Amino acid sequence: MIKTSIACLAARTVRAALRMMGKGATTLPGKIALKIDPDIISRKAEGKNIITVTGTNGKTTTAHMISDMISSMGINVINNISGANLQTGVATTLVCEKGRGDDMYVLEVDEAAFAKIAESLGPKVCVVTNLFRDQLDRYGELTHTRDLIASGIAKTGAKVILNADDSLVASIGDGIEDRCVFFGMDKVSMKENNEKYPPRKGVIPASPDAVFCPVCKVRYEYRAHSFGHLGDFYCPSCGFKSPDSRFEVIYDLGTSPSNDDYEYKIRDSLSGTTVDMKQKVPGTHNLYNTCAAISAVTVFTEALKGREGDADLFRSSCASQDHVSAAFGRMEKIDIDGKKLCIFLVKNPIGLDRALTFIADSNDKASLMMLLSSNFADGKDVSWIWDVDFESKAEDLPSNIAVSGQRYADMKLRLEYAGAKVGRSGPNDKAIDILRELIDECPQGGCVYVLPTYTAMLSLRAGLVRELGLKEFWK
Amino acid sequence: MEKTKLVIGHFYPDLLNLYGDRGNVLALYRRAALRGIDVTIEQITIGTKLDADETDISFLGGGQDSEQNIMKDDLVHDKGQTVRDMIENGKVFLCICGGYQMLGKYYKEHTGETLECLGALDLYTEADKVRFINDTVYEFEKDDGSKATIVGFENHSGRTYLGEGIKPFMKVIKGHGNNGTDGWEGAVYKNTFCTYSHGSLLPKNPEITDMLIERAMKNRYGSDYVLPPLDDSGEQAAKKAALDYIKNGKEQMI
Repeated sequence: MIKTSIACLAARTVRAALRMMGKGATTLPGKIALKIDPDIISRKAEGKNIITVTGTNGKTTTAHMISDMISSMGINVINNISGANLQTGVATTLVCEKGRGDDMYVLEVDEAAFAKIAESLGPKVCVVTNLFRDQLDRYGELTHTRDLIASGIAKTGAKVILNADDSLVASIGDGIEDRCVFFGMDKVSMKENNEKYPPRKGVIPASPDAVFCPVCKVRYEYRAHSFGHLGDFYCPSCGFKSPDSRFEVIYDLGTSPSNDDYEYKIRDSLSGTTVDMKQKVPGTHNLYNTCAAISAVTVFTEALKGREGDADLFRSSCASQDHVSAAFGRMEKIDIDGKKLCIFLVKNPIGLDRALTFIADSNDKASLMMLLSSNFADGKDVSWIWDVDFESKAEDLPSNIAVSGQRYADMKLRLEYAGAKVGRSGPNDKAIDILRELIDECPQGGCVYVLPTYTAMLSLRAGLVRELGLKEFWK
Repeated sequence: MEKTKLVIGHFYPDLLNLYGDRGNVLALYRRAALRGIDVTIEQITIGTKLDADETDISFLGGGQDSEQNIMKDDLVHDKGQTVRDMIENGKVFLCICGGYQMLGKYYKEHTGETLECLGALDLYTEADKVRFINDTVYEFEKDDGSKATIVGFENHSGRTYLGEGIKPFMKVIKGHGNNGTDGWEGAVYKNTFCTYSHGSLLPKNPEITDMLIERAMKNRYGSDYVLPPLDDSGEQAAKKAALDYIKNGKEQMI
């Protein structure tokens, strides 16, 4: 098709020009290509091996893990690692990234965009990480997001990797049981951990999601919880329950998953194999992301080789976790002369809850910097910070806390209402100076934790590139 | 002197919990507790009992449509008479967004379908296609007659109209208010205060937090009760920064 060729040429030219100007150019080339040829995604995706990752949280981390794991097996991986996950970003990746012909595409896809492009992409494997409230003014209700993802999946023949502990995600498996694979926390571990290590309690519980069975309108019961609404749930009315997972994380919170080299196990119940693991990207939530990535890689390699349930393929997926590193701004630890800087993007309540829990549990915390902005990409409404239970973690946060971003004063008040004391504070133009002071004060081996919203992260990152010579995020 | 107490009833926290509205409960808790008041927060939801006499301040936020559908029966029918009596008897209520709409007589959808509401307040809401989503600034007249600037955030497609005997809560300085036409925001009836404002509303607006606490304490301890003074410089600094952002802040191109 001549239209397709023109679209590709235009997109690549724009990308080359923008790159020369020092821009990431992760969406505009795709936008132009889609304008010239609206079918560009299906044309470029045809015949390719594609894994998609969607869900409200953990997309980038999981996609990054899958990419690193598959790369380590000697397969060339193409991905949209810069996080441009709308139609335009996916189109940019498909059009502009040059492959070898036998490449594997690992694409994180926004939930709403997924419904629109799943059919065109024709993925072999689709991963759904979880569904938590996420800028409701932009995305609408969670049940609606769930329906969007389910409608996208229905238009593919993909194997579907679903989080068994998330009632909204697990319900996507209804009617497609023959191509669903579930992952989650081992139900026995979850229960034992709940009993041995009861979670911190705040003044009032965090705002929960998906409390009621949407079919019966009856409150779900839980045999065990992991975090948020994730857990071993069941509906006492219709009997819908957390499915038995094929891939399960066996864990003990006696030591904290916030710390490096946390030890746990992953079991593949189909092949009856259990593998000892050391966590590469820390945090309890990353146990889910790791398990999702191992599930996807195992299922993909099984399909490739036509050997379902082969224990060796599961073992090699687990082993490939050794090659995983954190994605841009997702628990990425940067070494600065023996001090650590850890940037942790927060964009919705559960992400912030997980980040605060992580820092409260970590043994290297020296200081904390929170950046709250309200540009369109962050969400114009900053009310969401009040949905998060800061109160239960405040005592365990570092005593040296700073705030910045456009709405730094809102974040300062939020921290103060939880009983934390805030030291330095100031708008965006002060962010780099504040961060430099925190790094100066940080003891050797200590870590400065930085929790920015999306645009605050991009502007901070630009400052860090100048100051510290960090690489640009799209590289 | 015996320690004073205050009971906050947090209505349907598992269903009405959008846009950080739980921050209002945290603000009431904090500014009462810092004054030495013994504060209890009761979670009142489907199937739990509502003790009208022992609940000093009731808080209702907004929820997603599907979740409001789950709790509406419980509020309108099971707890309906008790809530209406509490409001008539001058109990203190703060209702935001969906909680505000549900106290009225009805909510009319785009489709023309009319949903029955609690009918505790003479007001009604009609859905419109255009949603009001923006930062807001209001003027609020305090009990002593002085004026306070209030800052918030609105996000609603309902247009609310007040009937006889229902006064507006605040004057709109920036934003759309109840219906985008009459320049007023929210509703007041006796000690019941309703508004569309998120933000959360109370943390950055301690004038309203303190008024609600004082009115509730007067209900419990008599009209002679005077709320002890409490520093609010942290809250005022946050309000000032928010007002400054609303006035001068720009979408940052990255």
